[in-house]
Amino acid sequence: MVEKKIGLGSVIATGVGLVVASSCLLSLGIGAGSIGTPFIITMTIACIVNILTLLSVAELNSLMPNLTGGLAQFSLAGVGPFITIICMVGGYLLCNSLAGSVEGAVFGNTFSTMFSDYNIPSWVFTAVLVTFLMITNLNGVDVFIKVQDFVAYALIASLAIMGILGMLGIGTGEIVSQPAVVASDFKSVTGLCGLAFFLFVGGEYVIPLTKNCKNSKRDIPLGMILSMLIILVMQIFMVLGFKNYTQWDELAASTTPQILYGRMLLGPLGRYWMLVVTLLAAISSVNTIMNSLSYILMGMSKIELLPVFFQKTNKKGAPYVGIVLEAVFFLFFNITGLSSTDSISFMIAVLAILWMISYIVTNVDVLLLRRRLPNAPRNFKLPFGAMVPVLAILGSVYMIYSIDPSMEVKLSLYKIVGVTIAVLAIYSFLWIKLRVKKPLFKPYAIKEVMAMENELYLEYHKKAS
Amino acid sequence: MKVSIEELSRVEIITREAKVIELTENFSRFGITGMTIYDAKGCGVQLGTQEYESDKNEVPQLLSKQVIMVVLPTREVDSFIEFVEKSLYTGHIGDGKIFVTPVTNAIRVRTGEEGTDALKEGTLD
Repeated sequence: MVEKKIGLGSVIATGVGLVVASSCLLSLGIGAGSIGTPFIITMTIACIVNILTLLSVAELNSLMPNLTGGLAQFSLAGVGPFITIICMVGGYLLCNSLAGSVEGAVFGNTFSTMFSDYNIPSWVFTAVLVTFLMITNLNGVDVFIKVQDFVAYALIASLAIMGILGMLGIGTGEIVSQPAVVASDFKSVTGLCGLAFFLFVGGEYVIPLTKNCKNSKRDIPLGMILSMLIILVMQIFMVLGFKNYTQWDELAASTTPQILYGRMLLGPLGRYWMLVVTLLAAISSVNTIMNSLSYILMGMSKIELLPVFFQKTNKKGAPYVGIVLEAVFFLFFNITGLSSTDSISFMIAVLAILWMISYIVTNVDVLLLRRRLPNAPRNFKLPFGAMVPVLAILGSVYMIYSIDPSMEVKLSLYKIVGVTIAVLAIYSFLWIKLRVKKPLFKPYAIKEVMAMENELYLEYHKKAS
Repeated sequence: MKVSIEELSRVEIITREAKVIELTENFSRFGITGMTIYDAKGCGVQLGTQEYESDKNEVPQLLSKQVIMVVLPTREVDSFIEFVEKSLYTGHIGDGKIFVTPVTNAIRVRTGEEGTDALKEGTLD
């Protein structure tokens, strides 16, 4: 069968669909509510830093094409197993798990907004959803696979339409008279970069499309950049729409800002429209993360970065250890408190720091591999020497430094991230010494990383050990 | 002998069969007017060991490959090699080898034309 090749349009559609999730709207609401329209500057900074990193990812992808493990495999070839396990296995998995928890919280909060008269805690709704999706995934049934693209596009189209209506001031609701700028000092604008960064994370998920692309050399990097710019423009429309129809303080305090905005813009129609779209998007995201993460855990176990029990499957072929662990993780974080905007925005900041650390390592990989293999053919090579990866690293470091305007919050964020990294470092050290038995910091040869993709690799290496 | 080594070079590319058509479709861009392709068996430093195998073969295992031989103007060699490298690259063992050698002369037997003339559309017909 001849496989259908995709073009630039499909790459952009997939990129936008993968990055925009319902929890992004929460970051947008909190950010815009806190400082008003200057949040557009914050978003632009975060967008640029993300684009720079995605360009580095594109160069790594041209050096190690068609890998399924993504950033972890690039990192194995760049910095060796110790840092890879800390940042890519631990950090990246944790990021996705936290993202799933936040999506679950958005679902719970949206439902509890619908049934506000009954006073049911929002985590109850989240728990029902997570349990349901755990059961379906354990039975090997991916309930949302057929509709998830549709749901993602419905969310994006809804945001674009509502953003434009609001920006132009042609909604049916009453236009709010309020200043466009709540705070515009340097510290306030850059202090929300972490929140803004969360609006653009995940662009690297486009990379697996490389092998199905008609002109991957051009379309993958260009598609990633255009996806980011489209998301930025869409979010700018929304911020300008918020200014016209929603009080900034109400927006900042809302756990479901998009529903609040929908109601203020178009009355009950807007409220129900956003309600349905958000619910579907949140269910789809939690399901996708639970499903894909269990397979990523399985894949990482196959390349000996995680214990072998992640490869166990039940009678239906589902990697049940990963699914159950993910469900427990989502439930734990939601039951212990992810219902207020403060707790969610704190969680998003932790997630953003971990994700940015993964991105920093990715940029370091580019520089190290340039030094090690200067003449290896790269179908996509960043121009201007080391400038792009270095700027991406500096941008990410700066965003971590200015993750929150409050020093107290910042220190507690660093503490959590520090403890997480310390725990992962102990695991990484013991795992490499006892199981992998390779030097901690010696990078794997690219040919070995490429060979690990072959399903026979593990079989042969098991026999050898 | 009319041709100096600066004018013509021979490039031999050993690679997988799957890559041959994709590669040859673009040869005309580099002033290549003809090509010779033949089946071959061989191995490199891995002695034919598959990349997923943990132990290296002790006895060479010969793998099926294709060899593409072209002669082209020496000034085109660098850009041609870059194109071939990027086209063949997958990052996996077995992407191929490229050998470049100078050509001291080329002769079209039928007309007796030599050097670059022997590679162009004939002018003596």
